[in-house]
Amino acid sequence: MVDEMLILNSVDELLSHIKDVQKDVISLSNQSLMMISSFIEKNALEIDNDVATALQYQDIISQQLNATIEAIDSVQSSIYRFSHAHQADENLVVESMKKLQDKLDAALAQAKDKKSRFSGKSADNNTDSDEIEFF
Amino acid sequence: MPLVIFVDDSETALASTRMVTNSMPIEVKQYTEAQKALAEIKAGMTPDLIITDLNMPVMNGLEFLQALRAHPSTSRTPCLMLTTETKAELKEQGKALGLTGWIVKPFNPAQLKQAITRVLRLPA
Repeated sequence: MVDEMLILNSVDELLSHIKDVQKDVISLSNQSLMMISSFIEKNALEIDNDVATALQYQDIISQQLNATIEAIDSVQSSIYRFSHAHQADENLVVESMKKLQDKLDAALAQAKDKKSRFSGKSADNNTDSDEIEFF
Repeated sequence: MPLVIFVDDSETALASTRMVTNSMPIEVKQYTEAQKALAEIKAGMTPDLIITDLNMPVMNGLEFLQALRAHPSTSRTPCLMLTTETKAELKEQGKALGLTGWIVKPFNPAQLKQAITRVLRLPA
């Protein structure tokens, strides 16, 4: 079981690294878009549909990456609880393993749901129409 | 000029809407936090149209809408949701709270302008 715990620790460290990279990407893409926006506004340039869409993709990128960061947080929290349950009582390992698997499955399902929900018109979700929906 | 407020936690999303609406005959105020917009409304600001994002930390778009509907000066103010969300269940919740319409990002600039023109009854 010690080997498995070491593997989980490595997975945990890898996940932390992925989160850090994603946070940096969000920050850089935000800075990049703000610089472009500032240039457009300073020069009073009129944006067309393509440029407006490109600018808005940054928001979608940020939301998608934030959703995966939340999924990673959830996975790391489950790994942490599993590790502590194992340390407390080795007899609980099988039960804890099952719980860990369930938590990981739930985190994946939630992340996939958010991927679809936060994709806006870029997703294959029947929103290809440009019509604004009035109630 | 009619006052339109935009609420979105994304600075880049606000920049996009600013660039699209800067040629329109409207006054625009932007907020990255719904609670700050709400505080100004409670202090006397009376927007003619509110356009808000849905997924925001602290107070999301539906909670903001609920608070607006509970306040006398904005109980009937037109509100549009501008979001990446496409879930029918969330649209229904918005509709039940008196939401005027739902715009999915990325929006088409011409159609956002048309929506504002239509809701505010501006000359086309």
